[in-house]
Amino acid sequence: MSRIQLTGIQKKWGAVWGVRDVNIDIADEELLVLLGPSGCGKTTTMRMIAGLEDPTEGEVIMDGEVMNEVDARDRDVAMVFQGYALYPNMTIYENIRFPLRMRNVPIEDQDRLVRRAADMVEMGDYLERKPGALSGGQRQRAALARAVVREPQVFLMDEPLSNLDAKLRQAMRVQIKHLQRQLKITTVYVTHDQIEAMTLADRIVIMQGGAIQQIGTPNEIYSDPANTFVAGFIGAPPMNLIDGEIKNGNFTSTLIEVSGLSIDAEGPIKLGVRPEDCAVVAAKSKSYHMTGEVYGVEPTGDMTYLTLRVGDNNLEIKADRDYRSELGLTEKVAFDTERLYFFEAQSGQRVR
Amino acid sequence: MASVRRTKSENLFIRYLILGSWALFCLGPVIWFLSIGFRPRTEIITPQPIYISALSLDAWHMIWSDWPMAKYLRNSVAAIFGSVVIDLALAIPAAYSLARYKYRGREDIGFYILSTRMMAPAIVAIPIFFLFRNMGLLDTIWALMLIYAAINLSIVTWIIRSYMTDIPKELEDAARTDGAGDLRILWEIIIPAVLPGVITAAVIAMIFAINEFLFTLLIASTPDAYTMSVALANFTGGSDGLIYNAIALVAFLAFVPVFLVVIAIQKHLSRGLTMGAVKG
Repeated sequence: MSRIQLTGIQKKWGAVWGVRDVNIDIADEELLVLLGPSGCGKTTTMRMIAGLEDPTEGEVIMDGEVMNEVDARDRDVAMVFQGYALYPNMTIYENIRFPLRMRNVPIEDQDRLVRRAADMVEMGDYLERKPGALSGGQRQRAALARAVVREPQVFLMDEPLSNLDAKLRQAMRVQIKHLQRQLKITTVYVTHDQIEAMTLADRIVIMQGGAIQQIGTPNEIYSDPANTFVAGFIGAPPMNLIDGEIKNGNFTSTLIEVSGLSIDAEGPIKLGVRPEDCAVVAAKSKSYHMTGEVYGVEPTGDMTYLTLRVGDNNLEIKADRDYRSELGLTEKVAFDTERLYFFEAQSGQRVR
Repeated sequence: MASVRRTKSENLFIRYLILGSWALFCLGPVIWFLSIGFRPRTEIITPQPIYISALSLDAWHMIWSDWPMAKYLRNSVAAIFGSVVIDLALAIPAAYSLARYKYRGREDIGFYILSTRMMAPAIVAIPIFFLFRNMGLLDTIWALMLIYAAINLSIVTWIIRSYMTDIPKELEDAARTDGAGDLRILWEIIIPAVLPGVITAAVIAMIFAINEFLFTLLIASTPDAYTMSVALANFTGGSDGLIYNAIALVAFLAFVPVFLVVIAIQKHLSRGLTMGAVKG
């Protein structure tokens, strides 16, 4: 059992804000992802949960107990780092055993626990090696084994996959999620990679400038973004954001017109539409919302990314896998009008 | 255009020629005094640098039988070893503190430590003489240990610090969340990780201590506390006049251990001497 509550957390270094007013309630056994660009405060937030950083204000509560005054070594958390942080002078076996030794686990149990943890991440054959003799993926698996070996109350993972190549990252992602579900340990996972966040998380916390932008399930974050930041951060390619005007339910912008909208706003507004909610329609078609000039065509095999030049903006569209075109041709595009988003032109807040 | 193209082997030849000349220039004096050490006293002044027509062990026997050379050696080893132990015991925690913790005046303390090496030793010679006299430590190897340790403490601290600042902070964070306290982290994580730096610093301190002359001469007034470096100077006086071949041999004896150690760790040594000036 371990539920983590962060209440009114602030972190300041002199006049510099690290984190402002963070409130999160992390349920037992939940996998929570802190997502945001670098410098958004996500790592600082995690380090405050670990006890490696003290909040300037607010409380870190675990299972109802305020942990602010408890030293990192006495919080029952295990951390996995981006740079693996394996002890270079020790073998993998000694690395995995280290937390057991530090917490005075009986010697007769240590060997069994080390081997079990190593087997969980398929590192059983590398126990006698030093970290320097392993590949990046093996090192990160060893670091995972060191984290799981004593079955802590909480896992904290700080961009654990960022140093790995794309293919390995996918495999490790699955492994991490599997381990977390198997061990049922509350986990906080920090990343700047939205795919990682979407695939791993029970809930995602999106942060920017030290403040939380939105908390929600991956689905909520994707289909119901609270503001332009969230909308632009989730999805690959990100949501297209188009400046325009709205009047009597009609949205107009350069070369774009969408009518019959049931939205209760007037004046300048931002329209958001995801690349996957756009479709290229036949040149003769009368039902389209936008025209643009072909700027780039990128086939990926399972689909084709199409970039259109519309006025002064480039808009991204996910087209059919067979779609091909020539630069400079004009294309007509229809939006899925059920899946359009509107944001205040100034603040970027969602208009519903 | 008829370019002058040099082949790879010609390049290699030129390179070796330059390096070889330099090596000869550096090693020449060593070979010379070695050859002086093994010739009879009567033939020392021959103009030939290398002269071995009459190999003589006179000087070798002489330094061991007429002088307490074994005692000098023992004094040197004890004073140097002791000073290095003192240095490491003080420098490792100091370096860790300077490398890791942020506190007011940290940079000042760091500079103060380094500045102790900027002063000409002669300036403090007389105060130090009185200091040790009042402590009753004159003419003991304990005094030598302390003075060598004091001379080298700054450079040892500085070298170890430069290695410690290169250790990723993540390593300590990991150890802390794994349940280790400060001393555990220092002992089990940091020191093993900076061991090359510790060894380098120890060897550099050793070299400085072996060559230390001024303070040793000041403190050691009888053979009880003579070290190799001061013993060398004692061959130059007295009724026997200058005993060049003995001097050469003793100098060689003092030189060999340092030479061997330096060769063994030369890879680390260059790193230690640049002292983190270039971020690795």
